[in-house]
Amino acid sequence: MSRSVWKGPFVDAYVLKKAEASRESGRNEVIKIWSRRSTILPQFVGLTFGVYNGQKHIPVNVSEDMIGQKFGEYSPTRTYYGHAADKKAKRK
Amino acid sequence: MSDKVVVGSIAGAFGVRGEVRIKSYCADPSAIADYNPLTLENGRVLTLTLLRPVKGGYAVRLSGVATKEEADALRGAELLTERERLPSLPDDEYYHADLIGLSVLDTGGEELGHVKSVQNNGADDLLEVHGPGLSTTVFVPFTKAVVPTIDLTARRIVIDPPEGLF
Repeated sequence: MSRSVWKGPFVDAYVLKKAEASRESGRNEVIKIWSRRSTILPQFVGLTFGVYNGQKHIPVNVSEDMIGQKFGEYSPTRTYYGHAADKKAKRK
Repeated sequence: MSDKVVVGSIAGAFGVRGEVRIKSYCADPSAIADYNPLTLENGRVLTLTLLRPVKGGYAVRLSGVATKEEADALRGAELLTERERLPSLPDDEYYHADLIGLSVLDTGGEELGHVKSVQNNGADDLLEVHGPGLSTTVFVPFTKAVVPTIDLTARRIVIDPPEGLF
């Protein structure tokens, strides 16, 4: 069963506080969070969060199309080292 | 930049008529046939013809392999191609093979380590940086803001990490 709409999206309170403090300071910093369950809100767009994966903080630069997802979806807990072959990376 | 790139490996014989089962490591698995001719680690040159997809890879015909015994003898061998055979890419796109192993410097010129791997977290590509002064690897977002300079000829990249990353 999906979450009731009247409750609004779930976000841990400390994530909101940290995000607000970072936005006010205007510094280019990674906001370390442990809350993988928190929903990504519109006011997080443009900030970089370090989302804990049980071992380290994975940098996640929040963009508009990530709104509504959970932070944990962008911080994989397993690392797979395949062959590079012809795989490409794009610098955004 | 290494001149050979591993694009697949031979998993063994497929059937009894000299067909071979291969595993492709390419982003598009069927693209392995575009990199013909392929070489083995011992320098042997093979031409690969894709026949059909099978469980765990592709059934292929390799030049000079006509029997099951010859195919079985190649089990575990890696298929290599020349780096120059990979198509050229537009600006700001890089092959993982080119990025892995590059030295990582900060804007002050201090060496932080080298690129261990390139990962993707579903949003951005990330460079996994490993260095002697780091207790664990660090993921660096592969963006123009954080990685302003990539010099493939000098084998180094310059990064401007945000606070709290290292």
